[in-house]
Amino acid sequence: MYRYLLHRILQIAITMFLLIAMVFILFRVMPGDPASMVLDPKMPPEAKALMKKQLGLDEPIYSQFIIYMKNLLHGDLGRSFYYGRPVYDVIMERLPNTILLFTSATIISWGLGYALGKRIAWRRGTRFEHALTFMGLLFYSVFLPWFGLIMIWIFSYRLGLFPLGGMITPELWTAGGAGIIALVLDVLHHLALPLFVLTLLSFAGAMLLMRSSMLETLREDYILTARAKGLSEKVVRDKHAARNALLPMVTALALSLSFSMSGGVLTETVFSWPGLGKEIVSATLNYDYPLAQAAFIFLAAIVLMANLVADIIYAYLDPRIRY
Amino acid sequence: MGIIEYARTSIKENWSLFRRSRMGLLGLAILAFFAFLALLAPIPRLIDDMYHPMVGVDPEISYSTPPSLRHPMGTDFMGRDLLSQFLSGAQIAFAVGITAAVISVLIGTAIGLTSGYYGGKVDALLMRLADIVLVLPGLPFIIVIAAALGKMSIWIIVLLIALLGWPGVARVIRAQTLSLRERPFVEAARVAGAGDRRILLHHLAPNVLPLTFLYAALGVSGAILTEASLSFIGLGDPSVVSWGMMLQWAFTTGHTFRAPYWILPPGLAISLLSLSFYLVGRALEEIINPRLREP
Amino acid sequence: MKSLVFILLIALSFSPVYAQEKVYLRIGGQDEPKTLNIFKAGDKWSIEVIGWFFESLYTREPLTHKVIPWVAEDYPEFSDNVATIKIRKGITWNDGTPLTAHDVKFTADVILDFQIPRFYSDWEFVEKVEAVDDYTVKFYLKEGCTPLFLEGTLLSPIVQRNEWLPVVEEAKKKENPLKSLLEHQVERPRSAGPFVFSEWVKGSYVKIDARKDYWAKGKLIQGREIGPFYDGILFKIYGTTDAAVLALKKGEIDYISWTIDPGFVAELSKEESVTVTKSPGNGFYYLAFNVRKKPFSDLAFRQAVAYLVDKEFIVSRILQNYGEPAYTIVPPGNSFWHNNQTPRLGAGLSKEERIAKARDVLKSAGYSWDSAGNLLYPDGSRVEPFDILTPPADYDPLRAMSGMLIQEWLREIGVQATAKPTSFATIVQKVNTEQDFDAYILGWILGVDPDYMRVFFHTNQTMPEGYNPMGYSNPTYDALVDASARECDVEKRKELIFKAQEMIMQELPYVPLYFRDEIEAYNSATFTGWFEDLGGIGGSIIYLKPLSSEKPEKKGICGPIILLLTATLPLLLRRR
Repeated sequence: MYRYLLHRILQIAITMFLLIAMVFILFRVMPGDPASMVLDPKMPPEAKALMKKQLGLDEPIYSQFIIYMKNLLHGDLGRSFYYGRPVYDVIMERLPNTILLFTSATIISWGLGYALGKRIAWRRGTRFEHALTFMGLLFYSVFLPWFGLIMIWIFSYRLGLFPLGGMITPELWTAGGAGIIALVLDVLHHLALPLFVLTLLSFAGAMLLMRSSMLETLREDYILTARAKGLSEKVVRDKHAARNALLPMVTALALSLSFSMSGGVLTETVFSWPGLGKEIVSATLNYDYPLAQAAFIFLAAIVLMANLVADIIYAYLDPRIRY
Repeated sequence: MGIIEYARTSIKENWSLFRRSRMGLLGLAILAFFAFLALLAPIPRLIDDMYHPMVGVDPEISYSTPPSLRHPMGTDFMGRDLLSQFLSGAQIAFAVGITAAVISVLIGTAIGLTSGYYGGKVDALLMRLADIVLVLPGLPFIIVIAAALGKMSIWIIVLLIALLGWPGVARVIRAQTLSLRERPFVEAARVAGAGDRRILLHHLAPNVLPLTFLYAALGVSGAILTEASLSFIGLGDPSVVSWGMMLQWAFTTGHTFRAPYWILPPGLAISLLSLSFYLVGRALEEIINPRLREP
Repeated sequence: MKSLVFILLIALSFSPVYAQEKVYLRIGGQDEPKTLNIFKAGDKWSIEVIGWFFESLYTREPLTHKVIPWVAEDYPEFSDNVATIKIRKGITWNDGTPLTAHDVKFTADVILDFQIPRFYSDWEFVEKVEAVDDYTVKFYLKEGCTPLFLEGTLLSPIVQRNEWLPVVEEAKKKENPLKSLLEHQVERPRSAGPFVFSEWVKGSYVKIDARKDYWAKGKLIQGREIGPFYDGILFKIYGTTDAAVLALKKGEIDYISWTIDPGFVAELSKEESVTVTKSPGNGFYYLAFNVRKKPFSDLAFRQAVAYLVDKEFIVSRILQNYGEPAYTIVPPGNSFWHNNQTPRLGAGLSKEERIAKARDVLKSAGYSWDSAGNLLYPDGSRVEPFDILTPPADYDPLRAMSGMLIQEWLREIGVQATAKPTSFATIVQKVNTEQDFDAYILGWILGVDPDYMRVFFHTNQTMPEGYNPMGYSNPTYDALVDASARECDVEKRKELIFKAQEMIMQELPYVPLYFRDEIEAYNSATFTGWFEDLGGIGGSIIYLKPLSSEKPEKKGICGPIILLLTATLPLLLRRR
């Protein structure tokens, strides 16, 4: 087990290194230069050259890379050209928001998918199965920004149930008198609609996977045995079948997290959610590559970590895998 | 047996199985409907210049109007015909979706086969590459490359979608190849003196073909949604009238909550067309994996 | 499950009861400030916030845009190349200390020593600045009188010496002083202006509070009383214009601080409490050529293009008539400097007439067409296809669309032009740095002073990174605009600037396309005193007076309930 773990961690380290190198090179070969974006276009050419030199942009690529890697190992991600602040600070302001929205959406849609998946597998061939599968796939193929805006119009504007966007109500937070519970509730209130939309649009993935996995399990002998023993249907379904069908779902959890995070920019834009996805896009378009690079690395690292955790859980759960 | 003959017989054999899946048929029907629309796309501009989806404007209408006799789906903010834009969108959706899916499935199959068949260092290297691509945050990554290239051409977008889509396919094909490699018929071919190339192309490839079809079908949906997403954040190709672009025009010109006749059709079409490919894909999956089939 | 319901009930009993005693102006923006460091801040969203903290010696009066004394007591007194300025007493920073001549001198030293990119171009002709006593400063100019001194230099913000001195000293010790200064993190900027920084919750909002002891409060400018008459400003962030428009309709914000598209006007006008305004924009959009290259080096070709480009069509269709076709580059909203007597090629012609006119011009210059309709040079060789670079849709959908139209129009005379949507940075790279391009469409946001007439077309700006990437060079023009930068008599300068506009429209290094109106919207039920000015209604913020105090907004509780239900759904399903 430890050897396996070590092996995986080494693998991740190599993957991370290659990824960082790739992203680094990509940003250097981009046409245009940050000095032209960071600074006022009215800036005289000499001042621009001076600025470039001071940003360290006149060094050759490989030495820039070595410096970057060295700083990275010391935990220094550099400074954002655009904000003029340490990249780490900018990311740490956004990352928790992204994690809050997307992990909760992933977990909920995964839980929902699990619960529904085992049921439709159990009642296969029924109208219930077809209806749920169809609904699930229908939402799975919906174009998020379009759907999100329509939902905002209906639920936030017409019905007034949710805020129009953002993460908190400024008036409430500045007033100072609000208790901590009121503040938490305020965040939950803002979280509700994006969470609902994300869940609706992604639960089908987990549900269909659970269904397939469950169908495979149902053919196993021990299910027949359990039934033959006269155990109740629900016990067989939940205790015997579903539990064993859970395995492939573990990996799926990690994958669906990465999926929902990479589409984050859409969700964050539509719901004005102050997250990392939006930051990556604006940093890229602004040629703020210290920030864009770091945001990339963070997102990828989260996904890799999630995969690692999934692998460990998998190894732990599956009696057939021994290392 | 070559790939093509194999495909022909397998399609014939599998059609009867496919017909049993009601959802698969529904998917196929939706797909056929949009394919029909896509075929109609070149017609409007032959009728009158003002029906050109990009540069044709109604000489008398200079703002967005609801459906009328002259414009069955209405006009956009500058008086362009929405129906001809919608038809052109169908054409683009098929072109983008199918091209991207086919390229990514080709790459994925080639890599999966190679990786599974040769194993060892080749396998390790290719799978590490797949790992990297798999954890890349897809949409932001496409945006970075598009920015790096500086141009927003629809074919660059297609290529990028394809280049990000292959690892999933490669993994499955590799697993399949790993198990096929040990089958007696591969052994027999090898004994009969077939080289690696021959075994890969004539013995292994045909057997993973059904799987590639499945992934191609699923990949189309992903590609269509990605193109629309890029258009939504303004990074699409503005010289091409796609459904995503139609929506982007509606959003940026302030018609989101005002012109349902403009907003609803492209949004629904994106969703329905990708749904149809998912449905077809699922029906294919049941054919390939008999254990999923209803008893 | 019961415990969850219980927690929810407790939670709701604590629900917000926030009576809003204080009155804030709530502004909806697209983004938050990038920085609170005045030397770095170059983007709209930063300036919109920190702009309120700094006073300047002179300021522009709204509507007339005349420069009037502000922190200065009167206009500068010139003797030779030295300008003496007296400073008003009684202006204080929010830490209680007075704003003095030493602050002014310190600011000048920082800008000159560090060559601060944002300000230096306005200060190039300043030799040094001296504080004679606490309330008198002397500016030593390198050359004689220039209108740019009053119209630029003296409008720069003044920073506090106490606040910045340690930062500047520290930065000077560093290897990269400028970088270090620009990267300095300002947490709470000192303010001498009407508002003072209060709070910034990253990603959500910025709050600035009104200063009760603002020195200019109660003064009258053109009969308008200077405020602030409310407690502060709350800047909120919205990801899409749609969300901001809904927020305005719902009364969550009082003003959207960016130009909205004409499509929103109909929807917003229906709302009783919302007023939509149309102000003249201070900028122009244009098609530019690389005049070093054939066929653009030929005036006849440029004229033909100018005839073909149907500006009226672009304005009526793409801008929905919220704008004006451009026949010069000084916007009509800048009425003092705008010359409306420039040549208007093709104005009012139909498509067929335009094509005929363009063909005539080319024909008389010796051009011809081959059997396939392709345009041929007088020497019989074919006019090669070329690219028109346009910004992509995310940057500006209108320009991308204009490019498509121009492409089609050019094809009518057998010129195979292709509009290429290209990222903004790439256009800048190709046009400004490499100067490797055929034609492009971009725009300029302008200041009030028309000195840009000199910079955009001057021969000395044709080098890479200069403002004249087109390579347009005309000694007569250069002499004309150089004179305008030395002419301190305003009427004489106006003549020169008018002449320059005329010349540009004859020579056509740019084909100006359109001037865009700024469409904005505000809530007319919360504040009064909004007025339209060049560039928008943002200038009225300081004069606004609150109307009746607002009722606190109702808060839905359904959100948390639905959320908890969704969260517990798997649990519920399980417990059976």
